[in-house]
Amino acid sequence: MYSVIILAGGTGSRMHQSVPKQFLALAGKPMILHTLERLERIDEVGEVIVSCHPHYKELLQMHIAAYMLKKPYTIIDGGETRQQSAYLGVKAAKNEDIVIHEAARPFVTTGEFKALMDCDAASATYGLDIPFTVSVQKDGMIGGLLERNSLVNIQLPQKFKRGALLAAYEQAEKDGLVFTEDTSLLYHYTNAPIRVLEGTPNNIKVTNSVDLMAGEAIYREYIVGRD
Amino acid sequence: MKTCIITGAGSGIGRAAAIAIGAANEFEYLALIGRTEDKLAETKAKMTTNAHVELFAYDLADLEGIPALVERIYETTGEITCLLNIAGYTDPQPLLTTSLESMRLTYETNVFAPFLLIRECTKYMRLNRDGSKILNVASTAGITPRPGWLSYASSKAAVVSMSQTLTEELAEYGIRVYCISPGRCATALRRKLAPNEDQSTIMQPEDVGHIICQLVSESEHCLDGQNIIVRKKT
Repeated sequence: MYSVIILAGGTGSRMHQSVPKQFLALAGKPMILHTLERLERIDEVGEVIVSCHPHYKELLQMHIAAYMLKKPYTIIDGGETRQQSAYLGVKAAKNEDIVIHEAARPFVTTGEFKALMDCDAASATYGLDIPFTVSVQKDGMIGGLLERNSLVNIQLPQKFKRGALLAAYEQAEKDGLVFTEDTSLLYHYTNAPIRVLEGTPNNIKVTNSVDLMAGEAIYREYIVGRD
Repeated sequence: MKTCIITGAGSGIGRAAAIAIGAANEFEYLALIGRTEDKLAETKAKMTTNAHVELFAYDLADLEGIPALVERIYETTGEITCLLNIAGYTDPQPLLTTSLESMRLTYETNVFAPFLLIRECTKYMRLNRDGSKILNVASTAGITPRPGWLSYASSKAAVVSMSQTLTEELAEYGIRVYCISPGRCATALRRKLAPNEDQSTIMQPEDVGHIICQLVSESEHCLDGQNIIVRKKT
């Protein structure tokens, strides 16, 4: 069984909204509910841990009750940083097999969750080819070149073994290192093989207001399949 | 157990739909809801079906009891597959004599009761993952202005809009939402709207019941989300 950790600790400052983006309505319901409802349909999910800002825990509990979600839920306070929130979530997990996802990616499908859980690697992530050129910038000038074909756009969800990831977090804490997501952290400390599963451009991270508009179209075309 | 809930099953289109759906034998349990036991029993007597038919004498204007009614059906069957909101009410009056009480009763029966039934059934239909259907009976009155039909026509317009909204909202749960708008049909309700009409010349409840049966059939998966006008060519 899997413990699924949902990162929902953001405060929505980039969206200029009064509530965090994960609670904004997308296709008629709070964004985080899209992911939580899909997890409900996956037998392998043994528990769901949501890392959430303390001000919004009650709201989240109300949503969980209103949508009659039956999985065992634990709602924990988020940390100061994304990395701390993920660490606290992993620490709270009861299972050795864990999946980490973020509430701001509401278009992950049940099929993608299942494929991730079913793949035979201990650690895995979704990733997308990068269809544009990425270069190094230094002092407002091009400072180096990157080989596009060797790069991958990392997407969540990701899966890990709890023990290995916890050890990596604790080492990073000692070293004062902060990573933007958890495959980077695990790879840095263990060099462990991490499988990259082919992601989809629909699994966007809703970051800006324009992503919400695009999200409505993605929901309609990709999730519901109505033209 | 594949279960279909049919409201307004004591007469008219609801009765005709119950008879047609019973004969199609796609459901194992049919919950017939109507205001009076006697009329429901008459419907049951006219049905030929392998399904278990249960009668629920219930006035849908009693909104508060609807969640418990749906829960009771679910507890018995373990599944709610299909909901047909057919029960209707009308009290045609010109604006100046339309009371708030009349307007309220019309909306309670035609809009609020279907809304509650849909909400409660959806809680269980979500668990089916796929194949659930909701069908709402609106009316051509909901899309055509008729002086003197304010409460009924506007309530049916609400049913059309509610159906289209929920088609989108419930699609991810695998729940298809249908809406049909019958034109003139020989029912007791129609008699109140058009007392002087010769009902032998217009569409019969069996015509509409047959179409409802086709729409809720497993093989139909293209016509949800539309307001389907059902008329007899005269």
